[in-house]
Amino acid sequence: MTSVQLEVLLQTLISGLLLGGLYALIGIGMTLIMGVMKIINLAHGELMMVAMYIAYVLFSSFHIDPYLSILIAAPVLFILGILIQKYLINPVLKVEAIIPENQVILTVGIGMVLANIATIIFSSDYKTTPVEYATKAWYLSDYWKASPIELSLSMPWSVSFCVALIITAALWFFLTKTDMGKSIRATAQDKDAALLMGVNVERMRVVTFGLGSALVGSAGCLFIPIYYLYPDLGGQFTLIAFVITILGGLGSTIGAIVGGLILGVFESLTSTYAGMGWAPVGRFMIFVAALIFVPGGIMSLFKRRRLGK
Amino acid sequence: MKRLSLISLLVFVLSLFTSSLFAADTFDLVIPLPLTGKQAKFGEMMKKSYEMAAEEINAKGGVKKSKLVLSFEDSGAKPETARAIVEKLIDTKKQPLIVGEYTSACAKAVAAVAEERKTPYLVVASADDDITQKNYKYVFRQNAVNAHYADGLVEFMKNVVKPKTIAILYESSAFGTSGADAMEKDAQKTGVKVILKEKYEAGSVDFKPLLSKVKAAQPDVIYMVSYVMDASLLMKQIKELRIDAKLFAGGAAGFAIPEFIDNAKDAAENVVTASLWCFKMKQPGAKEYAEKYKKLYGDYPSYHGVSAYSALYVVKDALERAKSWTPDGIRDALKATNISTAFGPIKFENKEGYQNQNFMETIVLQVIKGEHECVYPDSIASKKYVFPIPTWRERR
Repeated sequence: MTSVQLEVLLQTLISGLLLGGLYALIGIGMTLIMGVMKIINLAHGELMMVAMYIAYVLFSSFHIDPYLSILIAAPVLFILGILIQKYLINPVLKVEAIIPENQVILTVGIGMVLANIATIIFSSDYKTTPVEYATKAWYLSDYWKASPIELSLSMPWSVSFCVALIITAALWFFLTKTDMGKSIRATAQDKDAALLMGVNVERMRVVTFGLGSALVGSAGCLFIPIYYLYPDLGGQFTLIAFVITILGGLGSTIGAIVGGLILGVFESLTSTYAGMGWAPVGRFMIFVAALIFVPGGIMSLFKRRRLGK
Repeated sequence: MKRLSLISLLVFVLSLFTSSLFAADTFDLVIPLPLTGKQAKFGEMMKKSYEMAAEEINAKGGVKKSKLVLSFEDSGAKPETARAIVEKLIDTKKQPLIVGEYTSACAKAVAAVAEERKTPYLVVASADDDITQKNYKYVFRQNAVNAHYADGLVEFMKNVVKPKTIAILYESSAFGTSGADAMEKDAQKTGVKVILKEKYEAGSVDFKPLLSKVKAAQPDVIYMVSYVMDASLLMKQIKELRIDAKLFAGGAAGFAIPEFIDNAKDAAENVVTASLWCFKMKQPGAKEYAEKYKKLYGDYPSYHGVSAYSALYVVKDALERAKSWTPDGIRDALKATNISTAFGPIKFENKEGYQNQNFMETIVLQVIKGEHECVYPDSIASKKYVFPIPTWRERR
């Protein structure tokens, strides 16, 4: 392998990992909701879009850095998620319907409403937050003069990746160490047993939906410095989150992280070695392959014996 | 009572008389345009420009002392609607000349109707090649065709950059593919080797894998056919990866509009793009039109606007020379057109398999100090081009 080929490969892997980290954060929100409520939230990408518009407004009107706007956008999305769960999804869950998955259809509707509201308020133009550091990067040759290859690490991408890691770590801490986190996991594992143990299942569901929304909201704030924004952007990210959720195993948080990274790296590798036009094809190949070969998701490979159902 | 009715009858007859008298002193022109739907933005810009031109012409005494009266019909960028509008205009309103439309699909529909009914049609901003390749006698086009869109840029590369290799990146749509194919042909004609030709999905987040491959191939020129957001992301990530080529070139669209510079910021610096028109170029009337438009509507128009604006001057010129204001009279006058407008010189020729096509020089824009400047051809340049361009490392 020549140094040029090595450089291309390494640079591709770097991009893939950075992208994968962000994908993971988008996926975790969906998988969390999936685990606790057993429904796929197809308004997931649209919630991310809402958070991005919040970040955009904060940036353009108050000059608040998109990364700092997580502190505002995430709580707003948490409340939005709670409201959606409490007043829209819960009532539908209780109704006996002809179609069993009517909550899923409801989330599609919510997504459409959100996208259209955004179109009315902000028009369908593209928006960006042109930050100063948008094209800043670190270069290997700046630190190691004799380096035979040149690698670059984009600053906003790396910051986004690191923040995504911090948020994921905080989530892990919350789910494993706190009382409420344990209750959420209990609800996810067995709703009836949790109910018998005195867990307020109804409340856990509401909190989980809020948490999932807040997570994808922060992912939105991490995305906006490196991407751009328009009202119909939700769909493509819902799709990505969906693929990650299936790949990682429905409801598994660690699975979502691994799934996100795999998807990111796989997409980058297809872009480099098969052509960028093939990247979306690669995404669905992974999706189909996961459904056929590892129907339980990646995590099922690690757990020999699955407890519960 | 009887007297009263007599007077009213008199008034009625008189008013009839005067109104018919006035009618002789106006030239009514109904223009089909997309004013709703996705293309409404361009339709709106063209409508404003037509109105500006009509106002100017009327203020200077109109066309042969007749006032030019414009009205607009919304086609919503739907070929069926455009066709119906034009059929009505020719069959019932007996309008001897059709001007307008924007999308190529609509222009094709209108051209077919106009040719069938032997009424001249002036195409203003539709670029699909085959509109003027069908041996139509009554269809005229003043804007450049797709195949010649990048001519100016190709000339610029041949005479200034002299590259040996080129990499072509394009979005996987009809627009991107046709632009990339045209450039590939042009490159082969001028002896430039295409070492990479890759498409991408519009709206992608991360172009770096693709760009690393481009970097490894080390092309002299990187040519990209993209809409605005992909264009800015591409340039930003090219800067991030420090890919140094002799020239970064865009195939109009996303690269030629101010939003590209707003979004890509310093990564946009020195990028060149093909374009049809720029208000900064040395073309008499161009700057005046653009400034007036900006004063009235708050932003600078693109070539769509100036083409519409100039179209009315072409019409005025043809009407003044026409022996009679009949379809055939106006057609013959249009055929002999040879005037200079704010859009550029306009002359309808039959060559290279096109009929009644205006062959205008397409230009090259370069982003210099955060603004689009017209740099090529030299005769109309507003600034000297920057070449060779500094490497990314030098730019800090």
